[in-house]
Amino acid sequence: MNLISFIFAMFCILTILVYFVTPKKIRWIVLLISSLFFLFYKNFNVVTILQALTIFLSAYIFARLIEKYKDTHKSKIFLVISILLILLVLMYFKYSNLFLITIDHICNILKIDYDLKLVSRNSLIGLSYYSLIMIGYLTDVYRGSVKAEKNIFKCALFMAYFPILNSGPFIKFENMKDTLYEGHKFSYKRMCNGLIRIAWGAFKILVISQRCGYFVNTVWGDLAKFNGVYSIIAALLFPVELYANFSGSIDIIMGVSEIIGIGLPENFDSPFFSKTMTEFWRRWHITLGAWLRDYIFYPIQKSSIIQKLNKFCKSKFGKKVGKKIPLFISMFIMWLCIGIWHGGEYHYIIGSGILQFVIIFLEDTLTPISNKINDKLGINRETFGYKLYQVTRTFLLFSFTMIFFRATGVAEAIEFIKSMFVSNPWVLFDNESLYTAGLDMLDFRILNISLIVLFVIDYLKTKFDVREKLFSQNIVFRWTVIFVLLFSIIIFGCYGVGYNAADFIYRGF
Amino acid sequence: MEEKEIYERLNNVFRDIFDDDSIVVKPETTSNDIEDWDSLEHINLIVAVEQEFGMKFNMNEVTSMKNVGEMVKIILDRVK
Repeated sequence: MNLISFIFAMFCILTILVYFVTPKKIRWIVLLISSLFFLFYKNFNVVTILQALTIFLSAYIFARLIEKYKDTHKSKIFLVISILLILLVLMYFKYSNLFLITIDHICNILKIDYDLKLVSRNSLIGLSYYSLIMIGYLTDVYRGSVKAEKNIFKCALFMAYFPILNSGPFIKFENMKDTLYEGHKFSYKRMCNGLIRIAWGAFKILVISQRCGYFVNTVWGDLAKFNGVYSIIAALLFPVELYANFSGSIDIIMGVSEIIGIGLPENFDSPFFSKTMTEFWRRWHITLGAWLRDYIFYPIQKSSIIQKLNKFCKSKFGKKVGKKIPLFISMFIMWLCIGIWHGGEYHYIIGSGILQFVIIFLEDTLTPISNKINDKLGINRETFGYKLYQVTRTFLLFSFTMIFFRATGVAEAIEFIKSMFVSNPWVLFDNESLYTAGLDMLDFRILNISLIVLFVIDYLKTKFDVREKLFSQNIVFRWTVIFVLLFSIIIFGCYGVGYNAADFIYRGF
Repeated sequence: MEEKEIYERLNNVFRDIFDDDSIVVKPETTSNDIEDWDSLEHINLIVAVEQEFGMKFNMNEVTSMKNVGEMVKIILDRVK
């Protein structure tokens, strides 16, 4: 179900209405029914039922077994089995092709004949999200930070809570276990807050992301014609398209969840204001980072192998350098996982995994050197100018990595990078050329203005709670802002022919 | 072991890990108070504290500790 569609709006209105007229004690059952409807919407068949049931039952049954045999050897075995079962389903449905392509590459190298046939598997919406969420849940039960849920239907709601199925965020059972099943009271203020957030999300998607997409898709679609300045602009616009799209869809589902009364963890914190790539990833897709930190990075770093390596490296290379080596090994594994999670193809693994790692590695090793040079040259690193340089540098680096993310394959990404070096600066100066790549002059103007709005709002968000501030204003100002927002979505939203108004980039994962 | 002694020994661990001899940890000290204390250094700190006191934190504690006070409480509990 697309988030920007009549059916989704109706679905939400109906769910919320029924939720608030049902007796408090059983309100969560309304959410369960809606969630199952959302999960299986237009995709209800034996394969999808088995897929969901395997993950759900592995999590439900094994969590209880892990708890029953707590502090014994068995609980660890149950944890491993349950995680393997979930991973098996996830890999079968999401990563079969990665596996097949890898075999093909290996066969090519070894010069063995191999007939590569890619497969297409029917996976349920949100599979990459709830499988990791359930792995987190099982691990938490094993670690003793939450109790296993005994009620099978409550456990099912935790796995399938519909707002998170589209594009996250990742949730943890310990934060959800009370709020999810509690019968929330209706609140007018929460409804207003939620609606504003939904409208802001819709603005980002329809006015900004789709518009960027027009240009980006046109350029990527015909690199022979659109190169040089066109490809550079497309490379810079794609991260914006991705951000507006992903954070916009998160805004919509968080708004819906807020109206119901269930708070979800924030996934973005104005990431384009980050001064380093490390900071960027702390502010972009925050809940994925937190998940990886808790369930992959920390366990690896704390493992005895890494600890032994740590000791060895410290004695061999000194304290400072020594402790970095095991750190980077764990980080590499973590970034590899991020890359693989983003999609079972090499260009995803490179774009959203390996390249990110390389940049963070370089940042970490080169910063002390560049700081020394700056100090020698007497450059003050606390000035606005220097910070602007850092923010711009981070954005440019991220844009570069996203070329691999946007491409359909590594070869295409390289072709795109080459096309950026074609010299055609006149495109910027004659009035016609720029407007031939999917966006006319009016569209460009709307895009520029809406980007400024996004920029300002994101900046203000780093200073205070924008919605809270808006509601504390007088009624005329408040409603003017709301009407301007709504009308700009209606007037400037891209609903054109030829593309899907809700083609969520992050939904595929 | 006395709480005071734990804080003294913790202080040394913190100074060693974050390379800053001016650090003085208090119960209310959090990662916001020490510049280099991010999620990457956090785990190194945890391991160093474990070695110093010859005890282990479980993963739940590693991810949920809010400040140094909570850390000391766990250490006190473990080394009794």
